[in-house]
Amino acid sequence: MSKELNIWLDNLLSDIESVQFQRRNSRRVRVDVGSEALPALLELLQGRASYVHLSAITCVDWIEDGQFELVYHVWSYETRSLVSVHTRIPRDPGVYLSIYDLYQPAAFFERDIHEMYGLYFEGSPDMEKFILTEWNGPPPMRKDFDGEAFVNEHFHWEQYHPQWLKDLEEEGGGITVRPEDVR
Amino acid sequence: MRPENYQAKNHPPSHEFELNFGPNHPGIEGNYAFKVKLNGDTVLSARADGGYLHRGFEKLMEGRLWIQNIALVPRICVPDPVPMEVCYSLAIEELGGLEVPERAQWIRVMQLEMSRLAAHLFAFGGHAATTGMYTTMFWGVADRDLILDRFEELTGGRVYSIYNIPGGVRREVPDGFLERMSSLLDYLESRLPDYDNLFFRNQVFIKRARDVGAMTQEQALKWGVTGPNLRATGLAFDVRRDDPYLVYDQLDFEIPTEPGGDALSRNLVRRSELKQSIRILRQVIERLPSIRGPIRCPIPNPLAWNVPAGESYTRVESSKGELAYYVVSTGGDKPYRVHVRGPSSMHAVQVLENLAVGSRLEDVAQIMFSLDACPPEVDR
Amino acid sequence: MPDIPYKDKGSILGPLKTLGFFARRPVTEPFEPRPAADSYRGFHVNDWEKCIGCSTCQKVCDNAAITMVKIPGLPEDPVLGVRNERPAIDYGRCCWCGLCVDICPTGSISLTTEYVHVCRENELDSYFVLPDPNGIHGKHFDKGWDKTADADLVDLHQQPMGEVEPQQRDDNFDEIVHGFTSQQAIIEASRCVQCGMCHESCPTHMNAPEYIRAIWEGNAEEAVRQIYRSNPFSHVCGRVCTRRCETACSIGRRGDPVAIRWLKRYAMDAVSDERIREIAAEGKVDYISGKKIAIIGAGPAGLTAAYDLVKKGHDVTVFEALDKPGGMTRYGIPEYRLPYDRLDADVEVITSLGVTIQYNTRIGRDIGMDVLERDYDAVVVAIGLQQGRSTRIPGSDHKQVRKAVKLLRKITQGKPFKVPRTAVVIGGGNVAMDIARSLARLQKQQYGEVRMTVAALEDFDHFLADPEEVTEAREEGVVILDSRGPKQCLVDENGKLIGLATLGVVSIFDQDGRFAPRYDDSDEQVHQADMVIESIGQMTDVSLFGDELTERLEWNRGRLRVDENGRTSEPWLWSAGDMVFGPDVVHAVADGHRVAAGIEEYLGVKQ
Repeated sequence: MSKELNIWLDNLLSDIESVQFQRRNSRRVRVDVGSEALPALLELLQGRASYVHLSAITCVDWIEDGQFELVYHVWSYETRSLVSVHTRIPRDPGVYLSIYDLYQPAAFFERDIHEMYGLYFEGSPDMEKFILTEWNGPPPMRKDFDGEAFVNEHFHWEQYHPQWLKDLEEEGGGITVRPEDVR
Repeated sequence: MRPENYQAKNHPPSHEFELNFGPNHPGIEGNYAFKVKLNGDTVLSARADGGYLHRGFEKLMEGRLWIQNIALVPRICVPDPVPMEVCYSLAIEELGGLEVPERAQWIRVMQLEMSRLAAHLFAFGGHAATTGMYTTMFWGVADRDLILDRFEELTGGRVYSIYNIPGGVRREVPDGFLERMSSLLDYLESRLPDYDNLFFRNQVFIKRARDVGAMTQEQALKWGVTGPNLRATGLAFDVRRDDPYLVYDQLDFEIPTEPGGDALSRNLVRRSELKQSIRILRQVIERLPSIRGPIRCPIPNPLAWNVPAGESYTRVESSKGELAYYVVSTGGDKPYRVHVRGPSSMHAVQVLENLAVGSRLEDVAQIMFSLDACPPEVDR
Repeated sequence: MPDIPYKDKGSILGPLKTLGFFARRPVTEPFEPRPAADSYRGFHVNDWEKCIGCSTCQKVCDNAAITMVKIPGLPEDPVLGVRNERPAIDYGRCCWCGLCVDICPTGSISLTTEYVHVCRENELDSYFVLPDPNGIHGKHFDKGWDKTADADLVDLHQQPMGEVEPQQRDDNFDEIVHGFTSQQAIIEASRCVQCGMCHESCPTHMNAPEYIRAIWEGNAEEAVRQIYRSNPFSHVCGRVCTRRCETACSIGRRGDPVAIRWLKRYAMDAVSDERIREIAAEGKVDYISGKKIAIIGAGPAGLTAAYDLVKKGHDVTVFEALDKPGGMTRYGIPEYRLPYDRLDADVEVITSLGVTIQYNTRIGRDIGMDVLERDYDAVVVAIGLQQGRSTRIPGSDHKQVRKAVKLLRKITQGKPFKVPRTAVVIGGGNVAMDIARSLARLQKQQYGEVRMTVAALEDFDHFLADPEEVTEAREEGVVILDSRGPKQCLVDENGKLIGLATLGVVSIFDQDGRFAPRYDDSDEQVHQADMVIESIGQMTDVSLFGDELTERLEWNRGRLRVDENGRTSEPWLWSAGDMVFGPDVVHAVADGHRVAAGIEEYLGVKQ
């Protein structure tokens, strides 16, 4: 049954116009869809094709394109295949619809993406910070936030002065290349 | 929360009482805060507050070479680090088109099952502790220690094995390891009757755990529950069988389920899985000597290794549920994005909040441990 | 069927069965830390004899825990690729993952089974450790996580270089090596760990790590740019350089070194000649300085100096006695090792920048040194070692006893001469191989068979020529005999040369290390030959200076004395290349740079 459902799914997806899809192997399908059609596609997958399990929602920051890519991974227990639905939204307003009404697990992922990327999901039940409750800086997973520069600014590299190092420095040796210089 | 950020609020007088469960609490697995509003002993509402174990792994991994991340990855889930390493390696192998030799795949299965045993011993040991049965907890941790001895011998590290590398594993199985592993499995099987007498068939525990934190199969599917928690509601779904990876399709094992959906069922599922893991391990120990070959496929110099562009979503069955990694590469020598989907992302937040409502205070810790919700996975 | 059914009511008496534990022996853990497993990842230990300070461990460490520390007193040898630095590790950051062990090119660092370290808070400095062979506490623990063959992260094998088969190449002078394909080049370039030993050991300090990285990134133009920072003779060096870089390569410690020379050849061939000219011209100043410089000898030293000086805006004229540029690289190196068109491409880059070369102009005969002294602001003499030495054995004045360098020049110029049917070469260096293989080819062309023997003083363990040359020569039919010293050239009663008599060599150097070969008179062999070629060393013809200048200059045992900038005792005269240092292409290039820098400073000062 799962093979037929796969074929049915492939046919269906290739019929819809704004959707491009690519079947990787019998258990992985990649679908690219425009951002306005995504909730409808997910509803279709959930209702008609038994993709009831939302495995994850990932956000990828494509800063050169000025876009966020949202990937929704949905899994079907019946056909035993995973469909990853990719969509891109512009980085600038960074707002998108929530799919909480379709999949409840989305609430966690949307909350996580909101605090890590600053992307707002309209309709999500809880957009409060979960992990970064005391963070006042920019959303840290964005590519324009340089984590290492932040660390180097706010924290200091431990300076050690063991006896062997002092002995070496007296003889003319000493530290030549620090690790932070070759990162 | 830092003391300087605490703001006291004035509440109007009511029968409600807010209690901060955690982040440092023996009833919490890890460091995790759980704010419950109580009326007497009954929980009216609960709110999860994580972030105490946030180390920023996803951002860190973007700044390190592909090979350097193998040291970061096991730290994401502390009780069960091996599936993290294996999943990361599988993702890169899929992106880079690396063919893992067969011997390495069998060694990986062996590690994964050893880690599952250790994690389950830890989990129901912890659950026993939340009901006050500390002897089982000590037994669980002590028996897990013996498994950690085997890990030390095989991989060089007890908890964070850092043993899997994209392409295979890092060192060969030592001589005599399989015999010692086999005798350890005999020992663990001989201990199961002790555990049953003390814990699983203990009337006190059964009374404590039955109907606590119960969820139906529909609720479980709606909330995105996976792993033993889902199997405890009766649905036999396991990534090892339904989305097979490594050599699980050549192994013979069952998927145990329980009908109850409550804390007792989840424990019974874990106990059954112990037996299945021992069964898989025995098959691997038997087959492994006859599978010869290299333990890893050649990879380029790690300082100059560009993984081809693409993305890959790999899933692995960890002891807690479905673990998935989404890795995006733009053809460079560092990952562009690594997203870790831990199974506890669902269990520790929404499911726990929903199940805690209506339960009694003394059962909250029990619910968390029975769900095997692991905060390091949620916080990454 | 589950072992414990869900509906089980449980037993209240079950736990009582654990009372049986009173009868069991308790588990006792000892106080001392128990020994760790055999491949445990404990504290570091570093074998300072094997460690070369390449800092690859520092690059792979994912926690930035390793600092390189200079330790005076340890051996430091840029030629062999050894630094006197050793890694020091911050145990506050290290996670003992063992990547440093797996990637170490020499296998010096490893992890032991030691895992206990205790200190108070004011002793936190003890976290910064310098691993040495004794361990951080001085207690010798067993090795834990050590380097194994199947876990090595460096690739010890070089990409094989394709060569033309011996049967196809032994009668023509076509280039033997095929060169890397772009895939091979990228794979070979990825083996590099960017330690920089090659840069330090190269006489002209080529930026090899940078151009190898550029090749790996697929950017051949950037590679050419990095190459031209230090070596404008890279088509040549990419084929015939003596490869000190590869001797120093840290991967070469346990495996094959990175094929730096072949990578250079690949990068230079991958970019068009026109584009190379554009890249080489980058950085040329856009004014004319008004200074004129004369360079005698259009070899690597002279032309490199010309390249540097013309880019600084000076007017450079090169005087070349022969009719084509290149010096020894053209007239000494056979075409099958270095095709002439590649050499011409290198020279054209330099002439395209505005350097004038006057061919067939012999200084001392056509123009005197006094003219140069008068008309030019600075003069560089870089005439090389054009003459061959003679063994002076009896019979070596016969006209069929030739010098290798002269004969090679004749072959290159295409001047006809009678190719001997059978020949013997005296000498075992690269030049001997060159002449032997060239004559072998001519013999094959004219007579259809090769009858070529090489008689060298050294034995095969201390042979002077490159091993590849020896192998290829043998494949082409040359017979190589070691430990044979020349005794006499045999002439028959008609005055025709018929052969060479050689004696077995007992020793070459005496106890003081001086050259004093001793022979075994009872071990005499006669090698039939129509021609004997002497290839035992080169010297230069300094008659161009003229008597007066020769008197004024200072000499050092027959060679011109120069200071550290290459300047002779005359303030306007510099000397560079083979004639100063001895035969080596890349040293000549380095010398050219040195002399150009010295002239630049001198001209800036003298106004």
